[in-house]
Amino acid sequence: MSSRKIHCTLEVNHVEQDLLVHADETLLDVLREQLALCGTKRGCNHGVCGACNVLVDGMLVRACLMLAVEVDQRPVVTVEGLADGRGYTDIQQALVAAGAIQCGFCTPGFVMALTALFAREPRPDRDTIRNALSGNLCRCSGYVKIVEAAERLAELPR
Amino acid sequence: MEYLAPETLDDACRALASDGAYCLAGGQSLVAMMNLGLATPERLVSLRRIAALRGIETATDGALRIGAMTTHAELAGLDEGTAAASLLAQTARVVAYPAVRNRGTIGGSVALADPAADYPVALVALDGIIEIASDRGTRSVPARDFFRGMFETSLAPGEIVAAVRLPAPRPGTGVAYEKLCVVAGDFAIVSVAAVVTVEENAPGTTGARDTDIQVAVGGYGMKPILLSALGRLDDPVGAAAQQLASHGDPPGDHRASSAYRRRVTPALIERAVAAARENSRRRPLRARERS
Amino acid sequence: MDTLNGAVGTSPPRLDAMDKASGRARYADDIRLPGMLHAAVHTSPHAHARILGYRTEAARSIPGVHAVVTGADIADVRYGGIVKDESMLARGKVRYVGEPVAAVAAADVRTALRAAAAIEVDYEPLPAVLSPDAALAQDAPLLHEAFAQYVKSVDGAGHGNVVFESAISEGDVERAFAECGAVVEARWQTQAQQHVYLETNGCVADVDATGRITLYATCQSVHHLQQRVAEELAESMARIRVVATRVGGGFGGKHASNLHSIAAWLARAARRPVKLVLSRMQDFEIQRSRHPAQIWMKTGARTDGTIIARDVRMVLDGGAYADESPAVLAFALLMSRGPYRIPNVRAQGKVVYTNKLRAGSFRGFGNPQASFAGESQIDDLAVALRMDPCELRLRNAMQPNDTAFGGHAVPSCALREALTTVRDAQRAAPPLAARAGTRRGVGFAAMSHISGLMGTSATVQLRTDGSIALATGCVDLGQGADTAMVQICADLLGVPIERVSYAQQDSDISPYNWKTAGSRSTYMTGRAVATATTEMRGRMLDQAAKMMECAPSDLELRPGGAIGLVGVPKVVSFKEVALHSLFRSGGPIAATHGFVFDGPPFDPKRASIHRLAFSNLGIYTFGAHCVEVDVDMTTGKVDVRRAWCAHDVGRAINRVSCEGQIQGGFVQGMGYALTEAMHWNEDGWLTTTTLADYKVPGMLDVPAEIHPFVLEHPEPSHPMGAKGIGEPSLVGAAPAIANAIRDATGARVTTLPMMPERVLEAMEVTR
Repeated sequence: MSSRKIHCTLEVNHVEQDLLVHADETLLDVLREQLALCGTKRGCNHGVCGACNVLVDGMLVRACLMLAVEVDQRPVVTVEGLADGRGYTDIQQALVAAGAIQCGFCTPGFVMALTALFAREPRPDRDTIRNALSGNLCRCSGYVKIVEAAERLAELPR
Repeated sequence: MEYLAPETLDDACRALASDGAYCLAGGQSLVAMMNLGLATPERLVSLRRIAALRGIETATDGALRIGAMTTHAELAGLDEGTAAASLLAQTARVVAYPAVRNRGTIGGSVALADPAADYPVALVALDGIIEIASDRGTRSVPARDFFRGMFETSLAPGEIVAAVRLPAPRPGTGVAYEKLCVVAGDFAIVSVAAVVTVEENAPGTTGARDTDIQVAVGGYGMKPILLSALGRLDDPVGAAAQQLASHGDPPGDHRASSAYRRRVTPALIERAVAAARENSRRRPLRARERS
Repeated sequence: MDTLNGAVGTSPPRLDAMDKASGRARYADDIRLPGMLHAAVHTSPHAHARILGYRTEAARSIPGVHAVVTGADIADVRYGGIVKDESMLARGKVRYVGEPVAAVAAADVRTALRAAAAIEVDYEPLPAVLSPDAALAQDAPLLHEAFAQYVKSVDGAGHGNVVFESAISEGDVERAFAECGAVVEARWQTQAQQHVYLETNGCVADVDATGRITLYATCQSVHHLQQRVAEELAESMARIRVVATRVGGGFGGKHASNLHSIAAWLARAARRPVKLVLSRMQDFEIQRSRHPAQIWMKTGARTDGTIIARDVRMVLDGGAYADESPAVLAFALLMSRGPYRIPNVRAQGKVVYTNKLRAGSFRGFGNPQASFAGESQIDDLAVALRMDPCELRLRNAMQPNDTAFGGHAVPSCALREALTTVRDAQRAAPPLAARAGTRRGVGFAAMSHISGLMGTSATVQLRTDGSIALATGCVDLGQGADTAMVQICADLLGVPIERVSYAQQDSDISPYNWKTAGSRSTYMTGRAVATATTEMRGRMLDQAAKMMECAPSDLELRPGGAIGLVGVPKVVSFKEVALHSLFRSGGPIAATHGFVFDGPPFDPKRASIHRLAFSNLGIYTFGAHCVEVDVDMTTGKVDVRRAWCAHDVGRAINRVSCEGQIQGGFVQGMGYALTEAMHWNEDGWLTTTTLADYKVPGMLDVPAEIHPFVLEHPEPSHPMGAKGIGEPSLVGAAPAIANAIRDATGARVTTLPMMPERVLEAMEVTR
């Protein structure tokens, strides 16, 4: 049981945040509780479901498995920070247009995973898409329309 | 809970020597256990700042030294020019999920020694060596001796896995990793790593002969089971099955019963050996999770 | 009914989709209120025990703890939809490991967890029964000694550990079997499945100065939740308000449960808002599961393939409390005939108490269990008759104007088209090579379900600028009900959907709806929306007629929100109509329509019914699946390569939403079929409490190709012809896969889930 808090500075969505955290507080805890960034979801809290995906230094990670004190200087981007206040990304729009969103709880996690994918591969094929999304659970959609949305994006000139 | 992020191995080892001190590598297992209330460290020693634990070195003879903090994602992207690199890459690709692979480390996986984990199996099959650091220096333990039991290794209090070493590759060696699991990304019901070295064709002979076959089986006991010296036999798979049987009954759990593991493992060994033999033509396949 | 702009049948993006994609959508755990406390629940470590006493001083004295509640503090009330056998916290006894025994509210989550752990409870352990067989044995310990005194809304002849017994039959099975040329008989066993909505159960309870509660809850009905909490707190419903948050999946697992009353009680005691959101582990341990079932079934046909007899007996494992068990039993029996014209059917069953998590509502509601047996048996019968399984189904399939089991007339039935559609699609698909070491099999299943039951209503109002305000009590769980209702309303008024606002469900103001369940939203609430909208349209025409000094029958709606004289360009806009009504004469224009399911009752001349625990239901839907699987002959692992799923939805309000439901239901059914199972150890502890142990299908476990076919044959009793789609696609997944396994290997797997080991064992038996 931790009693002392640690001071750490996190860059989240391009904003520096000065924080006091318990050593065992995860990035997910801090994002949701201290920074009121609730777009990143807690689905299982043990790393399986993918609803807590965020980007740390451009890399897809589970916010629930990363201690806040471990983030250090690496910039964190959450679903709220993707569009930078300029509307919605083409990934978000593609998911909406394809009817790939039902209850929506898994959606931010998928958006982050797709963002990480398309940042390194502008034209992924179906297998690459499915592998990239293999760590995201969806209980509503059966996954098909999510992949269709990504395939349509892969065909667009970028 | 106390949190430390030392910058040297020595400092880390000293910090780990106290009771209730846990090592934090990628956190993909430890933080999950903490979140579930299954681990309550009094002190967390983070390895993230220790440069000595990072990096992959390839010697001129192809031997590999992989820093403990190398992530599964980094290993999955290894140039698969040698058998060892290929097997590690194949294995790394089927560990959990992409986001977990970005943070999980080979050192963390090796130190945890989950009986159903992937790396221990590959490392035993490859005759890997675990480099262990303490404040008294470093020592090396062959992988086959390092994994002692369920979550049990040769590590003493105050010791850290510093690196994993793979010996220089022998020409004509092919590898394969077969993993049987209930759902993709899960721990294995049973997994098999096969390393097959094929003698080059002598002029005038037809076909090649296996000079060496070595197989490691995971999920079959509390630690990886090594089945070796199977080359040059008429029925290497049968011999492997016999060796396996001498290790007693495999466990039964919510993934599968003991009887099932006993039943399917020989066939998986056969598949892995056949795939490794095929790959010995220096065309490494992508990891084929037995799904 | 005439429609103007075709909003119905198109697939506009869901109203809430971008909120969800951008992280803006607000779920229960996203809510923060000033002064909010956090709750934690203390649960039973025993499967069965008497509670001797509580010691809470240690918990109360922890700084930051604001309220503590145990079973000793709560009102003496038993709750239950059909059998009133449970209370919000265990009282006198605990009956399953994980049962909520006490709870605390504290300043933060850590303190709450610490305080909950510091509560001490003294128990006298009792022997427990963990299976129906054990519970039915002579001298088995009784879970509910006072069962006879419990209030029950329906008499189910419960006794001992039997909660309920039901039976339904038509014709004379004994005589009919004697006429059969082929008879098959077998037993099936199905497992406990958990909903695993991505968002766990939770709520925030707020309280005003008078102690009136407002619950923000992820739930499947604000009215039902309001009713339960009021009953458990012994309050009037006027003192409880429930507002639905965005819901992250329900599937039947987010009907009202203990945790809402617990949160409300703590909020009132602490006089502060209280958040209670379950961890994934506690959600597994505390909520509810699907009923495990043991089913014996016998089906017989004449040698020409006409199926004339079916006999069914089933035992459902209900867990520690009755919950909706009697209704699940009833529906399982009702669906056990399958969508076939079998004239002689006898279906009997019972639900049994066991010392495990209670079983309750879960997508399919008894039909998945019944259909796993029934549709597997159809294939076995086909083998016995040397007939093609799809042909056997076509030969016996229900057709329009047939009667369902129990005597309901079924005017709209596209089952034959569903079967031929998936059969032809599979045949026409480019062949897919089987993976090395596997054998390919193709399997079919047919399914039937309902979409009409209980009561609902809708209210629609005309706003000052001519836009529309629509409100229903139908909570959208993610299936797209919100958008569908708006489409219906917009369609009937000829306006774009952006001109219709849709209210959040709030028990203070939303018109009554029973629950989002039973695939009933599009049929029931959609029908209410259509009728209310049409009524309001009539009043708008009346108003316009006064304005234009003509008869309403001279007027017609024009696209875009206007009313004009037939044959003349002159129009008045909706806005002008509104202004006239608000400022000149007539008054605000609005309409409301409500009804309780009004289909024909069961037919006592046809069917003999004993204790079916629901009031009338109906509006049958039909579907068919065809799946291709590869079975690994060495490991027994089953890989579903492709699936074709055809469902008659009557009329698709939003076609893409229908497809999403079909695909999602199929995949949830794949989990039921192949990988998901809750396990309890011999002490009654649930051992599958994380997503690592409980295996939900991920992207790589499901086929990339799940082809949905949305068939449309209008249901006459719905203004748009629509009926339901939520549940059927889950129902047919397991039997289709089981039949494909049999096609590939000759092996019949009769236990779910069909894990590799079970498939291998079945193959052994066949050899």
